[in-house]
Amino acid sequence: MLRLLSSIYKELLVLIRDRAGLAILFIMPIVLIIIMTLIQDATFRTVKEVNISMILINNDKDSLGEAIRKGLYESEFFQIVEEIDGAKVTNKLAEELVAKGNYKIAIIIPERATEAIRGNVNALINKSFKSINIPGTRKRTRKSTINITIYIDPATNQSFQNMVMSSLKEFTSQLEIEMFFKNFSEALAKLIPGQEPIKFESFETIKYKEIYASTEEINILPNPVQHNVPAWTMFTIFFIVLPMAGNIIKERDDGSAFRLKTMPGSFITVMFSKIFIFLGVAFFQFILMLLVGVYLMPTMGLPQLEIGPHKIALAVMALASGLAATGYGVAIGTIATTHEQAATFGAVSIIIFAALGGIWVPVYVMPHTIKIISQFSPLYWGLNGFYDIFLRGGDLIVIIAEAAKLVFFFILMLLVAVIYNNYNKAK
Amino acid sequence: MPESQHIIELKKLTKYYKGSNEPAIDNINLDIDNGEIYGLLGPNGAGKTTTISILCGLFAPTSGNVFIDGMDYQHSAEKIKNIIGVVPQDIALYPSLTARENLTFFGHMYGLKGKYLKTRINECLELFGLEKNANRRIKTFSGGMKRRINLIAGILHKPKIIYLDEPTVGIDVQSRNVILDHLRNINKEGTTIIYTSHYMEEAENFCSKVAIIDKGNIITEGKPKELIKSKEEYTDLESIFLNITGRALRDE
Repeated sequence: MLRLLSSIYKELLVLIRDRAGLAILFIMPIVLIIIMTLIQDATFRTVKEVNISMILINNDKDSLGEAIRKGLYESEFFQIVEEIDGAKVTNKLAEELVAKGNYKIAIIIPERATEAIRGNVNALINKSFKSINIPGTRKRTRKSTINITIYIDPATNQSFQNMVMSSLKEFTSQLEIEMFFKNFSEALAKLIPGQEPIKFESFETIKYKEIYASTEEINILPNPVQHNVPAWTMFTIFFIVLPMAGNIIKERDDGSAFRLKTMPGSFITVMFSKIFIFLGVAFFQFILMLLVGVYLMPTMGLPQLEIGPHKIALAVMALASGLAATGYGVAIGTIATTHEQAATFGAVSIIIFAALGGIWVPVYVMPHTIKIISQFSPLYWGLNGFYDIFLRGGDLIVIIAEAAKLVFFFILMLLVAVIYNNYNKAK
Repeated sequence: MPESQHIIELKKLTKYYKGSNEPAIDNINLDIDNGEIYGLLGPNGAGKTTTISILCGLFAPTSGNVFIDGMDYQHSAEKIKNIIGVVPQDIALYPSLTARENLTFFGHMYGLKGKYLKTRINECLELFGLEKNANRRIKTFSGGMKRRINLIAGILHKPKIIYLDEPTVGIDVQSRNVILDHLRNINKEGTTIIYTSHYMEEAENFCSKVAIIDKGNIITEGKPKELIKSKEEYTDLESIFLNITGRALRDE
């Protein structure tokens, strides 16, 4: 026990006396978590609040062109540019400006587009009333296609493109309905004596009620903070692997490990003291992240982090994640022969684990094979556990399976380190 | 367990590293008496480090036996580790810790504690002229001071056997003399010292007995003065060393 306590004290002294290292351990994760949340929040706002500059060339000058124009202006998603330096934007200039990335998108509505729609609507009505001769209606039955050209910056986010396309489709279909209704109503008025054409009134028949599903009574509102704080906290906890592996390699390089191995008592005692200290660091990092989410983020215009009522579950997940990370650190520190190996392998493998874990792209949109591989990423287990708590209001029972997997990973990594150490000893 | 007055006995000790067809040490037999200052000398790659590593219990030999004070590592590893002290060639200390903190940590690792440990640390620091620097961090020490603390960390628990791997490498004459004088005093109190060095003159004056190892074999063994007298062309230990191991450059 004296050996373990003395080892822990020694590790603590080594840690706190490396002030630069200590600052990096705690400040960098805070910087990361704030930046990532602000970026994610900005992406969220891109659709809702940020006006994206868009070129609109309306060659139609009729109902369709006006409907699209009005719709785009009213949506408040975009800042519409129709003139540059007092001159109308030409098709060629629009393409050039979008290609250069000056504008994300340009929409060109062709001439006589409304007329073409009107023709199509009439063709449809004529087809419907084929056997009846409606006075004054045109006999046209042929449909024509309207080509609205959209130039898109190749660097534009796919979801943004989808949003623009669905907005446009909404404006045009609305107009088509209006035209169809108007012409249909006029045709009917001509057929039925005394019948006046009915004015089209738009109203929402179907309304959508969005409720975030939860089995718990509490209903935590998902937002960039609720998503990002657990995700990036998990990520930074795993980065403890680098200083930990570095600590083990340094001790081996400077001969201290050699000396310790010649001393009485198990060398595992020394390893456990490192695990204890770095687990403490990971837990402290976690607390710090929560404090940032609760107190600092609201001052930056971000939503406040809702911790929820299950604090024991949260502590268990944090400890399990810390154990998995420290176990991984011990394995890398034991196997890697240089700091460079440990730093490169450690950092890249954590990024791979994080990618597989769904930190950047949700696992449910990944290809089938990757989805299967994801199930073996400790960051996937950790993230799932934290999402259970932060987004689904899950308690200890809900997260226990994920926490157990992380503890199993810790034990597995220690076994790997011990087996490798024994293999090396037998060389 | 053999009954013997030898504190260290190596019986037909052979070590092959995995993937190597050449033995690092080849069928070595060696007896070291209690109270000896025994020098293991040899060029780079001769097998000194392998021998010391096996003696310290860092790894097992491929074949043969090692007895330390009548015990072997298979059955009594913990007991052996309590009676040996290792002073590595590297400064195996924590630079951000003070001298006292380092020694307290290593003392605890040897199971020393409380007032005894404190007194023992003060005693050793005083002995090596470092009492005024006890609370300074190791990274601020000179090379000679670091070497002395490195040595104290290995003798703090008053071991029966001390393994010294190049204890005076890279330090000034004053520090070297302090270290060697104190080691002689420790030896007079009954501690056996196993010592490796490339300084032949130092080994000649310091060791009571030496073995010259090359290519995993003990080429010659004996008291330095007797070895020098054994052939006319031998003038000192260095001439014996060069005569036996050759003048060609060796790389580890």
